[in-house]
Amino acid sequence: MSLPQTLTLRCGPVTAVDLALFAAASGDHNPLHLDAETARRAGFERPVVHGMYTLANAARLFTQTFGAGRLIELQTRFTGVALLGDSVSFEATLTDPAGGHYSLTAHTDGGTQLVSGSARVALA
Amino acid sequence: MIDRGHIGFTTAPTTVTVDAWRVKLFCQAVGETDTVYWDQQAARAAGHPACPLPPTYLKALEGEHFSSAALMQLLKVPLAGVLHAEQAFEHHAPVHVGDRVEISREVTDIVDKKGGAMSLIFVDTTYRVGTLTAARSRQTILVRQPQATT
Repeated sequence: MSLPQTLTLRCGPVTAVDLALFAAASGDHNPLHLDAETARRAGFERPVVHGMYTLANAARLFTQTFGAGRLIELQTRFTGVALLGDSVSFEATLTDPAGGHYSLTAHTDGGTQLVSGSARVALA
Repeated sequence: MIDRGHIGFTTAPTTVTVDAWRVKLFCQAVGETDTVYWDQQAARAAGHPACPLPPTYLKALEGEHFSSAALMQLLKVPLAGVLHAEQAFEHHAPVHVGDRVEISREVTDIVDKKGGAMSLIFVDTTYRVGTLTAARSRQTILVRQPQATT
């Protein structure tokens, strides 16, 4: 099977319940993600979405197409933050069909770029 | 300055068991709808011996072993000035719900940037299942205006 040239995924809007569940599941209870006042004091209008929440969805971009177990490398630089209520679009572009390499970006509907990175999937 | 003496600090390996309920909660939180992660029958039908893990769930397991927040406390770095700058995973072998994963973390480097206005801390994590190295990860932590620490 040839690899798709482009992969896309949308998630959100991210709710307070999503962030509370993710805090419990991930063990990251930083109030920056859960408490509006803490976020305001840190200079954000609303609580900040966990970077690892964004990255979990970046991984879904690949597993939704290839299934669990085919994603063998995922490398990302966090370039911005999503806030509570944001919706996020992910896109991966095939850069090396023979090696299974993709480039990866994510941005909010408001245009904030969140992630820049790359991934490699195992060839079937 | 963050004490460079911490470069090479390695946590003693501990074993973390992958709990089914927590993987399911993780999936609910991120909107994962593929039942292979929590339904054993669906997992077997898809060719897995047991429910696989979402790829980045390893970071949650890592927190059970020795969280990055605990690591910052050890390095005397205030959490308020810390950002998660980069994250990378390499998966070498599948990890499943119910597995006992042996985890160890190492501070591999601490580098100053912009004349000391910020520092980067590189932390590598190894995840073993039985005798296999199932995965490795690297977290890069950015510290803004690090305080003098000794």
